[in-house]
Amino acid sequence: MERINSQWRRKLLRSSSVILLAVAWEWGARMHFVSDFLLPSLSSVLVRLFDDLVSGDLLIGLGLTLVRTFAGFSMAAVAGVVIGVTIARFRLVRWFFDPVVSVGNPCPKIAFLPIFILWFGVFDWSKIAMVAFSSVFPVVVATWAATENVDKYLIWSAQSLGVSRRALLWQIVLPSAMPEVFTGLQIALPISLIVVIICEMTMGGEGLGGSMMTSMRFADSPGVFSGIVAIAIVGSILVKLMEIVRRRLLVWHQESA
Amino acid sequence: MSNDVASVAPPAPQAERRVAKLRLNSDNFVIRYLPLVLLAILWEIAPRVHIVDPSELPPLSAVAKAWVGLLMDGDLWTNGTSSFFNWFFGLGGAIIIGVPLGVTMARFAVVEDIASPVVKALYPMPKSALIPVMILWLGLGAGSKIASIGMSCLLPVILSAYNGARGVDHTLIWSARSCGANERDVLWEVVLPSALPEILAGIRNAVAISFIVLVASELLVGQRGLGYLISFLGEGGVYDAMFAVVVTVSALGFFADRAYLYFMRRTLVWRE
Amino acid sequence: MGAGISFGQVSHTYRPPRGRPVLALDGVSLDVGEREFVALLGPSGCGKSTLLYLLGGFLPCEAGSISVGGHPVTGPGPDRGVVFQNFALFPWKTVRQNVLYGLEKQRLPKAEREKRAQELIDLVHLSGFEDSYPSQLSGGMKQRVAIARTLAIDPQTLLMDEPFGALDAQTRTLMHEELLAIMRRTPKTVVFVTHDVREAVYLADRVAVMTARPGRVKEIVDTHPSNGSRADFIHTREYTDKVDYLWNLVRDEAIRAQEERD
Repeated sequence: MERINSQWRRKLLRSSSVILLAVAWEWGARMHFVSDFLLPSLSSVLVRLFDDLVSGDLLIGLGLTLVRTFAGFSMAAVAGVVIGVTIARFRLVRWFFDPVVSVGNPCPKIAFLPIFILWFGVFDWSKIAMVAFSSVFPVVVATWAATENVDKYLIWSAQSLGVSRRALLWQIVLPSAMPEVFTGLQIALPISLIVVIICEMTMGGEGLGGSMMTSMRFADSPGVFSGIVAIAIVGSILVKLMEIVRRRLLVWHQESA
Repeated sequence: MSNDVASVAPPAPQAERRVAKLRLNSDNFVIRYLPLVLLAILWEIAPRVHIVDPSELPPLSAVAKAWVGLLMDGDLWTNGTSSFFNWFFGLGGAIIIGVPLGVTMARFAVVEDIASPVVKALYPMPKSALIPVMILWLGLGAGSKIASIGMSCLLPVILSAYNGARGVDHTLIWSARSCGANERDVLWEVVLPSALPEILAGIRNAVAISFIVLVASELLVGQRGLGYLISFLGEGGVYDAMFAVVVTVSALGFFADRAYLYFMRRTLVWRE
Repeated sequence: MGAGISFGQVSHTYRPPRGRPVLALDGVSLDVGEREFVALLGPSGCGKSTLLYLLGGFLPCEAGSISVGGHPVTGPGPDRGVVFQNFALFPWKTVRQNVLYGLEKQRLPKAEREKRAQELIDLVHLSGFEDSYPSQLSGGMKQRVAIARTLAIDPQTLLMDEPFGALDAQTRTLMHEELLAIMRRTPKTVVFVTHDVREAVYLADRVAVMTARPGRVKEIVDTHPSNGSRADFIHTREYTDKVDYLWNLVRDEAIRAQEERD
């Protein structure tokens, strides 16, 4: 009996924690424990978010950010998978890319942003190139590992059943590598989003990151906070979307069971 | 990486195979990093023969020269130390707070119930989005950068400490209890060492994140730091020096990761 | 130096965080005499390991009573040493450090600790491997370290949860002989969980057969070799008869356990 009570208590504590936090935020702001500037009330942030949504400003910014994110991400995804597979397949390619990936991975690629601005100008292409450059690494690493580590017993079984080289790649190796490759994509997408936001913050203009920096410069704290809320929501929606796609795509995978 | 698909192909003729092995044997340090040397050579030649525009990609020698210039002027040093200061306290704070928090969350239900929903809510948010808030609160100087780095690194550290501590094999704890260990012993002598591999892996992740947030925040605002220096040189059109600093920052990120890996392997020597 | 164990109508309900509670044990009563070697035999899921964990004090006993040497069990302790199937060695400690662990808890003087640890390492034939890490050892060696660590603190009772289950058949046979040799030197009360009928008959004085979930004691069979010697026991007709008899008891329960799963 006591065990059941404590389980309920824990459930209650968990769900109320976020609500309590929200309430504390609202109350604390209204009581002016800190100035309105530092911590605008939750209600004012939500109102602001709603206003921006209605006026269309939010959707424009959101749209721009998402377009840049997906443009860069899809480039990174395609390039990354292709490179990853060819690395696993051809010794020469592997020899070339191994140190590039191994040295490049831990480098903060965002430092290259001014270089991309120099090369591609101050509009969208530099942002998209930056995103692609940053996001391609996790995709390459995941695809390479996945393709190379395909269970050799799977391959030997297929070969003894008389499958051709080409069919081996497309029908055995790639499907087998899919889960891990997709995991790499799931890692790369949030990276794409973050990089777009940072680029927008640095370079200004429209987009969620840009409007947040503008709000900051005008000391418009509800604007800054509503930007954070918007980005957080977008971030979690993207992650959830990827999970749904994964379940659909990898229906056969035992994890999805 | 021995399960490579190419290795199950029918064997190539003898001579070709021997040459292939010699050329691409990655156990040899020189051969392994040769592609980078080739790329460096390409970097030097391509701008010089105008395959690429040298005003957009200065030749490697010009970049190296600019680098030495920055070093002599002291610019590299002053900005470097400023960056290091921000990085050290940001990352350090995240580790000092995050590890105990993650472990206590795993061991004590009360802490988990309070902290876990907050952690879960914050997880999908791109942490760099917090940078403007930190600037709003803490100004344009070091404070906002340290806070940005700290906040960005905190979550991965907490999560890995939590997962590490949760994943302790219960038979290890039971064996310790049967040997006479009390709750405190179990925490320090079983849970922490058991969680250490995962904690160290999470910190490695945090190191990479710390570099990214450091550079991003310095590119955005401020008057000091390597990120600021890159942006300043870029705006001033001094591209060879700009490239020099970008390479420096990249190298720092790379060596920090390698040094950490070395430390990690030494500490976890019992893993085979 | 052993202690009598008494299980009185022990029941246990397993409550997973999600899903319905499951009755794992239903009124198990069993007495184990001092220095007796009793095997708990039964199909997967019959609760034999659960019973062992209750005895070890790792799970709280909510219904029924468990006492060791007349005292009720309230928690884990050095009087009941435990050996697990997965060895449960501290991977970050060397062989010597693992064996020393319990001794350190007992606050013995350093010289004595070291001496005792070395004795035990020699006893289980691992001399020379004192400074190796568990990741460098084979399965059989790891289990020997686990046994050495448990025996180091000289518990009155030994709890063994399918300790040889993760070993290959040959190593397992060798370990049986080693265990019997150790028991001859330092007799203890042993409760040994297994699903292997032959192993149970070979090692134990008595075998308690458990039913499929919820676990109860179905029957207790005496497995002392009648001529008192275990050395040739395995070749005798008596052994084979006992194994057959027990297998028939277990077989029904094993089928029932299968059906419940499907």
